[in-house]
Amino acid sequence: MNAPPRKLRLDEWDARHASLLVAGLREPTYGGVLSRHVGERGDTRLRHLLFDNSAAALRLWNFLLTEEDRLRGHRAAGRKLVGAMKDLGTVPVMAFALPDLVAFYPDGAWWTPCLMEHSDGLLAVADRLGIDDSFCPVRAMLGAFVTGSHFPIPELLVCSAGAVCDDFSAIAQRLEPLGFPVFWWEIPRRRSPEPGEPAVSLPGGLVAPECQIALTRRELGRVRLALEELAGCPLDDAALSASIRTANLVRRRLRELRDLVFTAIASPLPALELLIAEMLALHYCSDRDEALVVLDGLLGEVRARVASGRGVLSADAARVFWVNPVADLRAMNLLEECGARLCGTDFMFGHALMDIPEDLPPLEALARVALADPMIGPAQDRARLICAEMRRLGSEALLISRIPGASHCCREGDIIRQFVRENTGLPTLEIEVPPLSDALMPALRSRLLALVETVIGRRTL
Amino acid sequence: MITAGIDAGSRTIKVVLWDSDKSEVVNSGAVDQGVEQRRLARELLERLLGGLGRSQIARTVATGYGRNLIDFADAQITEITCHAAGVAHVAPSTRTIIEIGGQDNKIIRLDEMGTVRDFDMNDRCAAGTGRFLEVVATRLGVPLGELGSLVRQSRCPTPISSMCAVFAETEIVGLLAAGRLPADIVAGVQAAISLRVSAMAGRNLACPICFTGGGALVPGMAEALQAALGHPVRLAPEPLFTGALGAALLAQRI
Repeated sequence: MNAPPRKLRLDEWDARHASLLVAGLREPTYGGVLSRHVGERGDTRLRHLLFDNSAAALRLWNFLLTEEDRLRGHRAAGRKLVGAMKDLGTVPVMAFALPDLVAFYPDGAWWTPCLMEHSDGLLAVADRLGIDDSFCPVRAMLGAFVTGSHFPIPELLVCSAGAVCDDFSAIAQRLEPLGFPVFWWEIPRRRSPEPGEPAVSLPGGLVAPECQIALTRRELGRVRLALEELAGCPLDDAALSASIRTANLVRRRLRELRDLVFTAIASPLPALELLIAEMLALHYCSDRDEALVVLDGLLGEVRARVASGRGVLSADAARVFWVNPVADLRAMNLLEECGARLCGTDFMFGHALMDIPEDLPPLEALARVALADPMIGPAQDRARLICAEMRRLGSEALLISRIPGASHCCREGDIIRQFVRENTGLPTLEIEVPPLSDALMPALRSRLLALVETVIGRRTL
Repeated sequence: MITAGIDAGSRTIKVVLWDSDKSEVVNSGAVDQGVEQRRLARELLERLLGGLGRSQIARTVATGYGRNLIDFADAQITEITCHAAGVAHVAPSTRTIIEIGGQDNKIIRLDEMGTVRDFDMNDRCAAGTGRFLEVVATRLGVPLGELGSLVRQSRCPTPISSMCAVFAETEIVGLLAAGRLPADIVAGVQAAISLRVSAMAGRNLACPICFTGGGALVPGMAEALQAALGHPVRLAPEPLFTGALGAALLAQRI
């Protein structure tokens, strides 16, 4: 089972899967050969991706790609579904604290046009509803609600509004008149406290005025009531604290995984699998216990690879800090094809990787983490955290992938680049990655190669 | 040792033959880009070789957006690295390179050794590129090479509000209909391109600044850039060929 780490095409994974079975691989119920998702779900993009060859990565992919089945299974089992929208890791912690409630992440549909190479038609549905390509590709979620073909319609939709991304709010607002009522909760734009104003420390070294924490706490209190109503029972602090502790288990595993991947001499896990794994911090693929098992498998594999000094990329790959998730998963492969590796990431939810304080009243703890969201404060806050991480990890370059149409992306990229440039002197690059970037691939490749050449050129000084 | 650099750009293919023993350019030339890039590049190379045999070319490096189609090259290197190498050779003290090419603009920051420290490129859109200038020239019915002499006649540059190549064309039609002089429109276009480049360059631009690429051949552009940047801008010698020269120089080292 322990083949040397390398990346495989989808068709190569079929043979690898067969050999793993012969070697005694035991798979979960959602396991199986990866290529089946092309035929069963139309996830044709998989044919153009390169995958890590470990059994742990296979389990991660199967976990992700069977989310629809899992959600329908929850529904069939009588569990109630909570769609946590534009919520980067807060509401699911509350939902999973209640019996028979399951949170999931409808925003995750933004990868469907990529995975299905537009055969899903989700973006066309959004177009017809007036949410065109001047909006973030997460508008695919709108199509998924209308067609009902990618996830069961949840019993409760919870969406944050306020300081979060404007175009996401506009997309979610479009759901209401279509018959999908949304429970909105407000999150303020994080600001620095005025001199003398009571302030509270947030995870990640940030500080916010106490009044903003109080507002967020009140808002989360409203969410709590809505969840209690749906569950038909109260959500007590003990259950919420227990849920926070479980969420922290996921977050700690991801932090360890990231640190191992970013600091190993030879990268022990491809960028693509790390991106998929990080997303588990937000939604757990609607099964938090299984998410822990999946992450344990990945961690075990990565620890073993690091211990043996084996990686999926050469040790001299350019060490790149990547900012923002990509709508086209192929872009993660492209980075490595150009001779670079991940050495730090900020996929816009760094706060969801930090521990939720366990020594505070649970709602207070959740409010503090929610206010540490990098998207709801000044881009300079985010840039400062990125610089600190780049220094800690020894990153050699910054890469920002702009999400076309995303309202938060139009200015923050420049701000972050300028800040990183002035504070680290490292090369920076911003690219734009649409859901299917095939037509732009030569230009993207050229830019990434230039970044790698620049990094390598600077090393010899 | 003679090396060859091929810059397969979006508008033209450029070739430079470099003699490293004599430290001089043996020959150089350019042809318009076309569908059969590989054939065009090979024919240009053969023509420039003159009495030299192919076997006398020790190594060939291809650059430019079409570099991967030049399969007879020994290596492919991006335009950023090749322009930097070329400019560092012809203007060694340069700290910032502005390159206006056919389909993209680049700002390349060099250290005192001529090594690339950082770079910027426009993405996706043709605004401010050589292609943009071509669109303007076509719409005004002026050969590209005559834009510069036209600019010199301008007395009151017309502000151009749209930097999208498509919308700007529409805007120019409107300006012509409003009786604006072509000279003033061209001057306005050059100023708009320069402001865009200036914005891309950002703060703390290190001098000396060297202007290269096909866009540098358009008279008046360097002056417009200088005005927008607020710093002296000097033209690279043979600006069309700096990428190919850099490729030929880098071919010595691979």
